Amino acid sequence: MMIPARIASLLREPLLHFLLAGGLVFAIMQGRPADVGDRRIVVDAAVVGGIIEHHVRAFRRVPTAAELDDLIRNHVRTEIYYREALALGLDRDDDAVKKRLRNKMLAIAAARAEAQVPRDADLQALLDRDPARYARPARYWLEQRFVGDDTPASRAAAAATLAALNRGAAPALAAPALPLPARLAAAPADELAMQFGDNFAAALAGLPTGRWAGPVASGFGLHLVRIDRREAPPPSRLADVRQRLENDWRRAAIARAEAEDLKALMARYDVVIEPVR
Amino acid sequence: MTGTALRAALALGGAALLAGCEAAAPPKPRPDSVKLSEFPDRVYWGDTHLHTSNSVDAFGLGVRLGPEDALRFARGEAVTATTGMQAKLARPLDFLVIADHAEGLGATKALYDAPRLFIRDERMRRWHDMMHEGPDGSRRAMVEILAARGANDLPQAMLNPDGAAERTKSVWNASIDAVERYNEPGRFTAFHGYEYTLMQGGNNLHRNIIFRDGADRVRSVVPIDPTYKATPDEIWNAMEAYEKDTGGRVLAIPHNGNLSNGLMFELTMPGGGPMTAAHARRRARLEPVVEITQIKGDSEAHPYLSPNDEMAGYGVTGWELNNLMSNQPKQPGMFAGEYVREALKRGLLIEAATGANPYKFGVIGSTDSHTALATADEDNFFGKHSGNEPSAARALSPQNIGPRPERFGWHYLASGYAGVWARANTRAAIFDAMARREVYATTGPRITLRLFAGRDFTPADLKGDWVRAGYARGVPMGGELPPGKTPPRLIISALKDPQGANLDRVQVVKGWVDRAGKARERVFDVAWSSPETRRPVGGRLPPVGDTVDLATATYRNSIGAATLTTLWADPDFDPAVRAFYYVRVLEIPTPTWPAFDAVRYKLKLPPQVRVKAQERAYSSPVWVTPG
Repeated sequence: MMIPARIASLLREPLLHFLLAGGLVFAIMQGRPADVGDRRIVVDAAVVGGIIEHHVRAFRRVPTAAELDDLIRNHVRTEIYYREALALGLDRDDDAVKKRLRNKMLAIAAARAEAQVPRDADLQALLDRDPARYARPARYWLEQRFVGDDTPASRAAAAATLAALNRGAAPALAAPALPLPARLAAAPADELAMQFGDNFAAALAGLPTGRWAGPVASGFGLHLVRIDRREAPPPSRLADVRQRLENDWRRAAIARAEAEDLKALMARYDVVIEPVR
Repeated sequence: MTGTALRAALALGGAALLAGCEAAAPPKPRPDSVKLSEFPDRVYWGDTHLHTSNSVDAFGLGVRLGPEDALRFARGEAVTATTGMQAKLARPLDFLVIADHAEGLGATKALYDAPRLFIRDERMRRWHDMMHEGPDGSRRAMVEILAARGANDLPQAMLNPDGAAERTKSVWNASIDAVERYNEPGRFTAFHGYEYTLMQGGNNLHRNIIFRDGADRVRSVVPIDPTYKATPDEIWNAMEAYEKDTGGRVLAIPHNGNLSNGLMFELTMPGGGPMTAAHARRRARLEPVVEITQIKGDSEAHPYLSPNDEMAGYGVTGWELNNLMSNQPKQPGMFAGEYVREALKRGLLIEAATGANPYKFGVIGSTDSHTALATADEDNFFGKHSGNEPSAARALSPQNIGPRPERFGWHYLASGYAGVWARANTRAAIFDAMARREVYATTGPRITLRLFAGRDFTPADLKGDWVRAGYARGVPMGGELPPGKTPPRLIISALKDPQGANLDRVQVVKGWVDRAGKARERVFDVAWSSPETRRPVGGRLPPVGDTVDLATATYRNSIGAATLTTLWADPDFDPAVRAFYYVRVLEIPTPTWPAFDAVRYKLKLPPQVRVKAQERAYSSPVWVTPG
């Protein structure tokens, strides 16, 4: 008899260990034999294969012959206890079993959502609903010069330097160069914010292109900036942000599937919550 | 029989919580087509040490956020923290390692969910009940569980290798799925990893295990459990087996030497006897990086070991009294095996004796946060664990593991982050940078720090493209300078956090073994702000000043410098001795997180509480070996 992998994995569930304990106690207390239906347990190559595979994953080696014997013996006992426990109804009125089964019901919903591959139209709809969330930042090609701390004196010096630069001169700068690139090509605005500070990146949006401008304040002091090119982000396409869309879609799909299932199930119940005096 | 029932009940709860994830289809591997820069041109920021609800203690201490929330938060999204507050990083991180404890992965959740009837162990039933009382009870239960763990006295049923293997597998697989889905080469790197919580009688020997590879390889292993082993051999065996079997790569990052009671960086083999070259080589290869600073204190240098370093002892208060579990008081003789600077010196000594240096490591900072929130900013600190998320009481509340009331909320540091000089934001590029030790630590601020060592750098280099010169004619941080007769010259550049405080000074810490075979150290101030007015007096640089206003928890950048760059040559160079050099950068004083709490919650803090500090960055060393 071949046991499908899914069943085989169920047979390895720790739940069985639990049930066997309770089951035995219950059986002794009841003092009557149970109807357990089919009393045939077959350990075939597939079962043994599954047992070995599990051991290898956990301990990175195959079990020894003695260990394997033990594992098989354990498997058989578990199977017996499991069937007997079900026959005795030990799964009823048990908080742990209820929780476990509740989670399995949720897992059905989650698995249904997980199994769906979102259609491009679904992802596109998600993208269209909140394009800002998936928007890429503007990119800049620019040159910057650090002119020093933000003081009235350096602001005045910056004005003079700015005029010289726009005349095409290459004035010497008093301030030390920062260990940051003087020229940046295709730099995304969020990257510039990380390097120069949020205020610097924000100010760039308002600067002209093609000539020196400023001073612009960064996290370090004042800069003169010449933006050669500013590229507004083209709207994000599905292909650019597919991974994020899929993650967001899956998260929402699981929550939705769980809620739908619950709603459908709730509709079949009358729930009476009696007033507590 | 009762043991079986209990074990089963425990395993049951763990499995139950994860049932939903097991059905998940494995994510598709994505081709890693990200372009590499010519040389590392940008520092990538991350946390290599974050716990989620899958960690035994994190769950027990309250957190209910799992790996997916942790990943979304790290890459900059707002999430709802366990205590209900909205949490968001001011700036996203570039990478994250979820490092949940392998030991009992999911076990506390399992105890929580277990049917009470089947918990036969009296202590476990007590803990189960306490956890169900609410957050306070849950925290008290966790303290007791950790104390039992430290005393090697956990109930047998909580160790349970069989049930744990099953539970570990389902938690691990679900975590792998989440990590894989959020790894976005070029934009955000999510590493597979876990924490190997090696401990000997409450002495911290923990390591974080980080894989370079994707789910296809990593799924072939499960985190292994170090219960009660005293040496790292078992994890090293597992790491080597993984590399051999899969062709993948994995490294380990030890942390909290400060809580190891002298065992993290021993001069001898673990357990005694002279260290062998084979052991030393193995450790250096598998553990190329050490976490030097984190929430549970800073392990750079202790004043006991470095009495001449007036800046030693950052964030040691509260952590220097005993070991992790507070079950063994610290003797002064233990410090030398705990702090990173001393370990680097010991490494030279062992190398002199055996030819191999076990402690040739780089350094990073990380949080070790147990909130699933990787926060290291003083003004946005979500605490060590969920019981320590922002509240009026947290700064002064006792935080003891063990019976003695000696650790308090304010002892926690809002620290730290890992800076990595990589050629791209991918697993491979960041991992490889760690393996070559081109990494550094900060206590939170995103200070940009460069270090190159060479023999022929000149001041003219600083006027040009010195980064290119550094790579072409020298070695970056973490490297080894080939033997030479002339003094090493260091190009050092520190740039303040663009959203943070100015810099006070840059220091070079040199360690060496002198001709008499004695390990020595010296700290040099090599660049500082306002050099025209701040002149060293008696070898000491005057303090930078203090602009902190505690009434508002603010500071002004009217003192300090935005950037400090220098070319420095060792004035005491002796070509016959082996030495290392690393850089320490200090910020001007800024308010700590308790100072922000004091304003936010209108608190009056007692005088011992640390309300200001000079946060800092530590580079990985460069080593110089005699020819």
